Amino acid sequence: MSETKPYLDRWAGLALLLPMAALLAIFFVYPLARTVWQSFYEYGFTLRAYETLLSSTLFWKVLKTTFAISFTATIVALLAGYPVALHLSRLPPQRRMPYLVMVMLPFWTSILVKSFALIVLLGYDGIVNNALSFVFGSPIHIPMVFNRVGAILGMVNYLLPFMILSILSSLLTQDVNLGRAAEVMGASRFTIFRRITLPLSMPGVLAGVLISFTLSIGMYITPALLGGRQDMMMANLIDFYTRQTLDWPLASAIAVVLLLVSGVLVAMLGQVRGAGGMKEMAR
Amino acid sequence: MSFPRRSNLVVPAAAWITYLFLLVPSLIVIPISFGGSGEMTFPPQVWTLDLYRQFFADAAWWGSLIQSLRIAVFVTLVTTVLGVPAAYALQRTNLPGGKVLGGLAMGPLLVPVVVLALGLYLQLGPIGLADKTWTVVLAHSMLALPFVMVSVGAALRHLDPSYEQVALIMGAGKTRIFFKVVLPQLRSGIAAGALFAFLISLDEVIVAYFITGTATQTLPVKMYSALRWEVSPVIAAVSTILTVVSLAFAIGLMWLERKDRHD
Repeated sequence: MSETKPYLDRWAGLALLLPMAALLAIFFVYPLARTVWQSFYEYGFTLRAYETLLSSTLFWKVLKTTFAISFTATIVALLAGYPVALHLSRLPPQRRMPYLVMVMLPFWTSILVKSFALIVLLGYDGIVNNALSFVFGSPIHIPMVFNRVGAILGMVNYLLPFMILSILSSLLTQDVNLGRAAEVMGASRFTIFRRITLPLSMPGVLAGVLISFTLSIGMYITPALLGGRQDMMMANLIDFYTRQTLDWPLASAIAVVLLLVSGVLVAMLGQVRGAGGMKEMAR
Repeated sequence: MSFPRRSNLVVPAAAWITYLFLLVPSLIVIPISFGGSGEMTFPPQVWTLDLYRQFFADAAWWGSLIQSLRIAVFVTLVTTVLGVPAAYALQRTNLPGGKVLGGLAMGPLLVPVVVLALGLYLQLGPIGLADKTWTVVLAHSMLALPFVMVSVGAALRHLDPSYEQVALIMGAGKTRIFFKVVLPQLRSGIAAGALFAFLISLDEVIVAYFITGTATQTLPVKMYSALRWEVSPVIAAVSTILTVVSLAFAIGLMWLERKDRHD
């Protein structure tokens, strides 16, 4: 038997793959194709939906909001996540587990639970405002939810696990001897961080930023529940045209735009990480 | 030199702020759910099970919990039955389209869920297949498939093909080898994939929101609709139930991963 001959023949392989291929064809490929087709079709081929989009002030406003919120949430997640990744990387492996559990906790909790909790925490008479009022002895009502701050905080909470794990994997591949050598030669901790740790972690930072931004632009629940009326994002606009105005071609055209933008981002992520980066999103 | 000592504390301090921000929103619902149905405070002024009584007194609430659990069980079955043989075939054949198909199975991870939700709505609505439990099961199976493929695929890469060769030489059929030699060795990978699939389906909101109606409403959809109108305290009880189930599954997954490393 030659080494290259596969264990299963073609027909066996086909039979084992067919059910999964059918599921993907009917419930993944077809709906995507249907969306693209619908964006060009109303009683015949038309570009009406795209022409409407280009001249719609609402669409441009929502597009701008989507990018602004996603960008801010990504940067905040990076700034809040980097120290955690650094902290985790400096712990001995056997002590890392409980901290990793804390990082993964939001990943496992329902986005609705977290949104509800943030409303209760950050609301007008919420737990945070009540605590501040108690501490300062006067009623304090900082608006932190149902506005852009709320939408961003909710998204950051969702993005952090992805950001932290991405940076951590980059930090853990660094050779500890580099830092030791620098230390021996008299570099301060800060210099070691600035000149060695930080530059070498850039691939992880870049991948984390791309993953976070990709996840952000498609967000639906968080802006809908924690944001204000002004914070509608693309996903919410798709829902609006689908259910409120029943303009399916327009909803589909926005979906196609969203699909293209995230496609570009995923391709960039692929460049940074290779195929492994995409699979990492599953972990 | 004082700087190194100070920077020793800066990183953990900054990290702990984020740890708290990660922890608190996921856990605070638990104490709140044992407070009364009045104002939601922390810590609760009284400790009672009132909110849970409200939840189980309302058929719309616990009915949607049953519906969600039922869908999640079916999704687990479908993804395991479809995913495990497919992952195996991708490892043990070299079909011309195999690589493409393996990549396609990761697709649901890379596409914004709202786009898929819209596509499924456009596909199923006009032919009367929206608001059916089985279409939700299949749609959720599509979303959960990548997780099953990754978990099982990882287990398969650790599987030594020579076991199958030995069994073959000893005269066992390939079907028998799959069930008696391959599957037992993939146990923890399959279990991890199944846990993932269950959780993905249980927590999924957007697709279910687009393709379910009053007859097939899942718990997350009911919760989302409730949250949009008013923040009712009973949601704290719902959240706690969801969180406890999720945590149990997450612990199960971590246990499986640990066990894998020690095997």
